[in-house]
Amino acid sequence: MIEIGRLCVKLAGRDAGKRCLIIDILDDNHVMIDGQTRRRKCNIDHLEILDKTAKIKKDASNTDVVAALKKIGIEVQSKEKKEKKEGKKRPRKAKKKKEKPEKKGKTSRKEEKAKKKEQKQAKKQKTEKKSS
Amino acid sequence: MPRGMQKSRTLRRVFRKTPGSRNVLHYKKRKPSKAHCSSCGAELKGVSRERPYRTNNMSKTEKRPERPYGGVLCSRCTRKTIKENIKKEKT
Repeated sequence: MIEIGRLCVKLAGRDAGKRCLIIDILDDNHVMIDGQTRRRKCNIDHLEILDKTAKIKKDASNTDVVAALKKIGIEVQSKEKKEKKEGKKRPRKAKKKKEKPEKKGKTSRKEEKAKKKEQKQAKKQKTEKKSS
Repeated sequence: MPRGMQKSRTLRRVFRKTPGSRNVLHYKKRKPSKAHCSSCGAELKGVSRERPYRTNNMSKTEKRPERPYGGVLCSRCTRKTIKENIKKEKT
């Protein structure tokens, strides 16, 4: 009954109720399994053996096992991580900015920076003209 | 005179050691009854037996076994039900 490619159902642990194929026979009591379960060593007592078999090689890769299971009619969920869904974000409360009354005579920092830039550029142009 | 609440055994008694190395009696509410398998009635293992104020802070995996039917059926009955489900699928 127990042979490589035999379809089983796991009975114990967190993979209980999931289908798997036997990949390798380790000793009288233990086998390697893969499929819907994790790829792991397993006691034969923790497996319910079913009547179907799939043609796979010893120590078949996970993709081969998934393909073999698909032929039997068992789909395996891909183990790739799902991308995080963007949940509905609550609109953040915008803080009210205090409007400061602009003082006359003083220019704001931005304006000062802009002025300085202009002066620098003018100087550069002058020097370039001289050199040329 | 002790209070009536302290004379009855509705509250369980807990000895606590104080920082000053004194033994003090504390009165606490009793733990809830053990969880049982819903099909055979056996005591469930791995199910936490605490008051809700403690279990609320526990993680999910601390509260019950991580397998299907964990915390509802015992391990024997889960095996039985899984086998029965397979037979039902075939027919």
